[in-house]
Amino acid sequence: MQKRLIAIALVLPALIMIVLFFIVPLFASVVGAFDVGGVLGLGNFTKSFELYSGDMIFTVVIVTVSTALIGLLSIAIGGYLTLGENPRAVAILRWLYRWPMFIPFIVVGQVMRTFLAKNGLMNNILVSLGLLTPLQTIGFLDWRGIVIAFVWKQTPFVTLLVAGAMASLDRSTIEAARNLGASRLRILIEIVLPQIATTLMVGLILSFVTMMSVLSVPLMINAQSPTMLTADIAFRINAHGDYGVANALGLISLILTAGAALIYLRHSVKERS
Amino acid sequence: MKTLLQTSLILGLAAAPASAADLTVLTAGDQNMVDYVNDYLAPIFEKENPGTTVRVVGTGPGDAGSQKIVERFDAQAKANVDKWDADVAVVHEKFAGPLVKNGYLESYRSKIPSGEMVTSEKAKMALGANVDGYVMPMFSSQTAIAYNPALIPNPPKSYEELVTWAKENPKQFGYNGIKGGASGVSFVMGWIYAFGDGDANKLMNGPFEEAETKKWDKAFASLKDFTTNATLTPGNAGTLDMLSRGEIAMGPVWVDMFYSWQADGKLPPEMKLVLPAPGMPGQPMHYVIPAKSPNTELAEKFVALATSPKIQADGIVKRFNWYPGIDAKYVQPELDKASWDKLFVDISPDDLASKAKPFPIAPYNSAILEAYEKNVAN
Amino acid sequence: MARVDLWWLPRALILGLLAFIIFGPLTNLVLWTVAEKWYFPHMLPLEYGFSFWQRVFAPRGNAMGSLLTSITIAILTVIASLALAIPAGYALSRLKLPFRGLILLAFLIPQAFPNLPVYVNIARFFYQIGLNGTIAGVVMVHVTHGLVYAVWIATAAFSAVDTDLEEAARSIGAGPFRAFRDVTLPLAAPGLMASAIFVFLESLDEFTGTYFVGAPDVTTLPLLLYTAGSGGNYQIASITALLLLVPSIGFMLVVERFLRADVLSKVGH
Repeated sequence: MQKRLIAIALVLPALIMIVLFFIVPLFASVVGAFDVGGVLGLGNFTKSFELYSGDMIFTVVIVTVSTALIGLLSIAIGGYLTLGENPRAVAILRWLYRWPMFIPFIVVGQVMRTFLAKNGLMNNILVSLGLLTPLQTIGFLDWRGIVIAFVWKQTPFVTLLVAGAMASLDRSTIEAARNLGASRLRILIEIVLPQIATTLMVGLILSFVTMMSVLSVPLMINAQSPTMLTADIAFRINAHGDYGVANALGLISLILTAGAALIYLRHSVKERS
Repeated sequence: MKTLLQTSLILGLAAAPASAADLTVLTAGDQNMVDYVNDYLAPIFEKENPGTTVRVVGTGPGDAGSQKIVERFDAQAKANVDKWDADVAVVHEKFAGPLVKNGYLESYRSKIPSGEMVTSEKAKMALGANVDGYVMPMFSSQTAIAYNPALIPNPPKSYEELVTWAKENPKQFGYNGIKGGASGVSFVMGWIYAFGDGDANKLMNGPFEEAETKKWDKAFASLKDFTTNATLTPGNAGTLDMLSRGEIAMGPVWVDMFYSWQADGKLPPEMKLVLPAPGMPGQPMHYVIPAKSPNTELAEKFVALATSPKIQADGIVKRFNWYPGIDAKYVQPELDKASWDKLFVDISPDDLASKAKPFPIAPYNSAILEAYEKNVAN
Repeated sequence: MARVDLWWLPRALILGLLAFIIFGPLTNLVLWTVAEKWYFPHMLPLEYGFSFWQRVFAPRGNAMGSLLTSITIAILTVIASLALAIPAGYALSRLKLPFRGLILLAFLIPQAFPNLPVYVNIARFFYQIGLNGTIAGVVMVHVTHGLVYAVWIATAAFSAVDTDLEEAARSIGAGPFRAFRDVTLPLAAPGLMASAIFVFLESLDEFTGTYFVGAPDVTTLPLLLYTAGSGGNYQIASITALLLLVPSIGFMLVVERFLRADVLSKVGH
């Protein structure tokens, strides 16, 4: 019993912080989601689904695809950093991969917009290198642009965590497997990955949450409909002053994210028991 | 937690509130609005009122920027703060009505000399809401179609011609839908004025009638058709961005943004503007003073200076190519002919008089936006 | 040796491609900081210059002051977040806690609920308790956003440390705190430091909360970045982003140096 009290005492300060400075203010918003012209009701949710159900699916698909790509790339980069045998290549990679992490999202939006556009810098370079002709160029300023921007910015974030976890693994099993002639890919998948699975999942979920809440990237890159929920929320507030639907959409977004987080929580509960 | 509170107290005291002679200006709009106050207006004001300092905070472009000012006032009103932390705010026309309705603003126009020089109807009614006395227009902004004369020697002069042109040149016309900012919204409103079955004047002046909102089906159907031939751009800046890279040849833009992009070297200097018939909406940016401003008198002085003929001529027209907020007849004598004419290089005063429309009143505005979402975006 | 020759080519190709993907967009950023004129059909800027740097560093703009405020706030946010997250993460990973899943979810909420509709309420609350316009207020808002990284990563980091090591230390007579400080904490350090970097970046790039709680008394560089960035003012946004790179990378290098020395010293013992 006393142990349990200690545990609660350790968590409490952080919890108070969140509850007092975010969840309490949030509460008014949650109530607002059910407020339809002064009466409690589900009108805001009906309207949300009526107007934005396509955007909900779009958001989940975009963020899930991005998360999957981020996961694959971060395993690949982290794996090479841990198992790579060419010290120079490892050093170059280590120096290389982190840069996008330091660019704020709003600048990522701007930079990708001017880079990935049909007449953007990327196509200009490819054309002047003779790899493309001007007629073959295509722009990526649609859902692909969002995915590229997300993966570009978030991969270093997850890689940093994954590579850190891989670096602190016990090397002896890896060396032993190597001596038995196992390929590096097999070592990565069968020995390294299971041991860092928790860290990888935490990184991916944090990425998922971050991407769900980014407004500037969809706003600056993707003009087409469907768009992401954050853009719809901003539109409801700025164009209509409609906090009801905005809050309903916020709540839906929260539930979608919580769904992703639950996958991890169930896994980690299994792990602990 | 305790130490945290202690440090927070110390830090809280360290960042002491501004002294009484600080004038805080919140401004929505682009970086050039912040620069305008910082580089031009504030030094003049500080010279005329020794001992005062002007601080300016930009809240971001477009409706989102104005909305943030409204929210800031909302928060202070609900928290029952006695003296608010802003003295002057610059907001888009659309937000003046709600601010007045909530009782956040001071009625000051009759107290300052330039108040009489405002003749525009837009200073009395903002999208159907009575704001008479509470606002002073800083400048009038207008949307128009930007194009590259090298590619399009004879730009379409009306919405009808534009439709034909867009069919012949697929994907060469770009606009930003309705979620990325008001230049796209303005294009859509102009479309409804041009092709809606109802009375455009009723949309602009009211009264609001539910039946009127049923008269747009045909216009939206043709807009949907038109949009498949057009390119959708990401935001007000997105349209200018794609024009800048030559990915589209034509698109609706805010005239003031267009000129500042040209001044920043992001658009070819030969690009031009055209205002198609029957017209496109524009809106003023308004100076407002919160009723609970800690320095009301100083704030009035500031707005009086900012809307004086000299500043309107020198700062608004000459520096930025913006249309003046007060009546042009007071501004013109302050300017040399060349600067005055430059304002009307692309769009003549006659065009402006006949084709610069207001936005629809608020309830129609919302109804059109929602109908667009249902009919065109889906 | 023949094997090395064979692998040289694909390795260089992949690294080259990666460099293009990472530095292509960044080159774009750097070019915009010095572009005076750049439009179609020119592939590169027509004119270069520093006039936009002058605008950013105009005395009234107070860019350096804002940058210093940004850094101060970011460092305080990191300290507060870690101070709260380390005990919380330890309890969440090691001790029996009721509603553990729910607590972890609670930390996720500030990131998961799009903040736009919530800020009015937060600002209102801060006005009521007099925290508006103070650095402490801004730090608190940033901490609520940073805690999700700090707590979740700390929990994962402590979970990854083998409990046997701590128990071994306990069995040779170390107290619980000492065992934690000398064994568990250093082993979890890489994860904790990574989370410190994320919290630092999160705080350094944040603008909406800073506007509502800090401005006009507390102004940070991202406020400028936001106005410029969303208005398509590429030059000013790029210059501001470049300025923000300096503390970001500086902080990461400091953390890494500190980390390496620390871990190595533990290995030496």
